[in-house]
Amino acid sequence: MRFLCLLLFFSVLAKTGGPAYGAAEHVGIVKSVVAVVTIERSGVSLNAEPNIKVLEGDVIQSGSTGKAGLILDDDTIISMGSNSRITIKKFMFQPNEKKLSLIAKIFHGTVSFLSGQIAKLAPNMVTIETPAATIGLRGTHVLVQVDRE
Amino acid sequence: MVSPSRIAVLILLISLVCGCSGRKTLVALAPDPDGKTGSIVIGNDAGLVNINAPYHATTVAHTGAQPTTPENLGKQNLDRIFAEALSIQPKRPIHFLLYFKKDTILTSDSEKLLPDIIAAIRERNSIDISVIGHTDTVGSMEYNTELSSNRALVIKNALARAGAEAESIRTTSHGKENLLIQTGDNVNEPRNRRVEVVIR
Repeated sequence: MRFLCLLLFFSVLAKTGGPAYGAAEHVGIVKSVVAVVTIERSGVSLNAEPNIKVLEGDVIQSGSTGKAGLILDDDTIISMGSNSRITIKKFMFQPNEKKLSLIAKIFHGTVSFLSGQIAKLAPNMVTIETPAATIGLRGTHVLVQVDRE
Repeated sequence: MVSPSRIAVLILLISLVCGCSGRKTLVALAPDPDGKTGSIVIGNDAGLVNINAPYHATTVAHTGAQPTTPENLGKQNLDRIFAEALSIQPKRPIHFLLYFKKDTILTSDSEKLLPDIIAAIRERNSIDISVIGHTDTVGSMEYNTELSSNRALVIKNALARAGAEAESIRTTSHGKENLLIQTGDNVNEPRNRRVEVVIR
């Protein structure tokens, strides 16, 4: 049994990829918050308050009555209901240098994703990952629900 | 008697062994705020589907299951499922373009926009405001880099004088590298002599 637990533990680790080290790129802000929403950054958990900065690699988690709305620097708008967990895995918005890319991941919960300028300028460079599938966007409003179990 | 936790472990193990994993996912497409509907592709190891009609949705059971053929779930159902997330959706950031007669002197039309910018900042309770300076292509790179930076600073100061918090304003400048209207070098183009203000 202990072996099975260890096996499970490591496979879960391998699948979630662990924390993103060295990530400090400014991605956007949490604009609106209700009840408890936390930001996990390099192993530290912060309370999300309105206008708190969001960095690349941050994991945003809403509590059982929490919800939050984010604005990314390219005008992408992400809002999440209760018991939701998401991260911005990658965010590059430098139109001058043609560096454009956005990868968001939804672990579970209900999320509304309204794409911004990256999707307009580089239609194939915006993806949302979920545990079961990957979504490619071309400038649009996507609603995603991922079961917890 | 088999405990539920054992069953859960068993299910997890089975899913790991067969290589398929992941929680059930529902993906729906809604119209943009401007009424248009874009398109999305949903895919995994088992296949992919396209959605390009409003309120259509697909479900994916796990990484090893083909996404279902998209069906119209209807606006009402989606509004219900996503009620929480939609209720906290922030307003889209608003962008203003201010134009310059020359150097750092605003055109009179742009001057008149300053109160609107202040109103938008107040409406959004914004403490995240970007001010981005640009120039046309007349003159050297160095000259224009400095000019675009000065333009951004002038606007930042004007907004601060009009009541915005200076600490909430971030200035950047792009010189003549980010033209609104594409021109050759050394072209006098009023629409490129601008500062963009983004209020989040």
